[in-house]
Amino acid sequence: MVYLTRKIEFSASHLYHNPAFSAEENQRIFGKCNNPHGHGHNYTLEVTVAGEPDPATGMVLDLKELKEILEREITQRMDHRFLNYEVPELKGQIPTCENIARVIWNLLEPRIHQGKLHRVRLYETPDLFADCYRNGAKPA
Amino acid sequence: MSETLKIELGRRYRFAASHRLHSEHLSAEENARVYGKCNNPFGHGHNYVVEILVSGSVDPATGMIANLADLDAFVEREVIEPFDHKSLNEDVPAFREKVPTTENVCKEIFQRLKHFPKARLERIRVEETSNNAFEYAGEGN
Repeated sequence: MVYLTRKIEFSASHLYHNPAFSAEENQRIFGKCNNPHGHGHNYTLEVTVAGEPDPATGMVLDLKELKEILEREITQRMDHRFLNYEVPELKGQIPTCENIARVIWNLLEPRIHQGKLHRVRLYETPDLFADCYRNGAKPA
Repeated sequence: MSETLKIELGRRYRFAASHRLHSEHLSAEENARVYGKCNNPFGHGHNYVVEILVSGSVDPATGMIANLADLDAFVEREVIEPFDHKSLNEDVPAFREKVPTTENVCKEIFQRLKHFPKARLERIRVEETSNNAFEYAGEGN
């Protein structure tokens, strides 16, 4: 098995707020991330696809195709957007790294037909990231 | 679909510390041969990076596996405060007997963090420099 990783970046704003919590609880649980006007990050997304290289092309999947999928599904949807208000897939969820990584997995997995989506890693900052795997898939 | 997915949270921390690699079980010549420059009796230092990976279910109310403030405070108390700007050999009791190689530092940090009550510790990665990294996922992994 070969694992291929492609990286993209996007910039977006978000805020953490749960309407079921009181103002004080929101402040206590989410701290600075609860600022009602939001704040932003430069996100880095690493997408890893696992597969055997096709003997005819030497490729697990065509990187051009992966690049187009990432542009269409992720960049166009999330780049320079306010994640809480402009990304319908995150509606009703707190846009944490964990939840965004899961949304990205669910957007990408059905689009990848050569090889299998193995890991989505989303960096919110260089010191904070979330990984998403299919349960039971051994991390490479 | 989501319940078939495993989510892990990664966080990187930093500390600066000195150490000296020297084993009581080896002669002076053997220590010099095995550890080279790292055997300098006065020690030397590194800017260490600790990357920790935890897993657990994502709380729908907060969107989080563990609140970062809790994780940061725990790592600060268990690792950063006792290790940062310290001599690992002199100031961390575990390294009075064990040589503070980054392999052993990695295992010691795992032991200190595995009791984090809010999530399951999956793996520790310690970068001694940007060219050397060590990973440990607990006994048997």
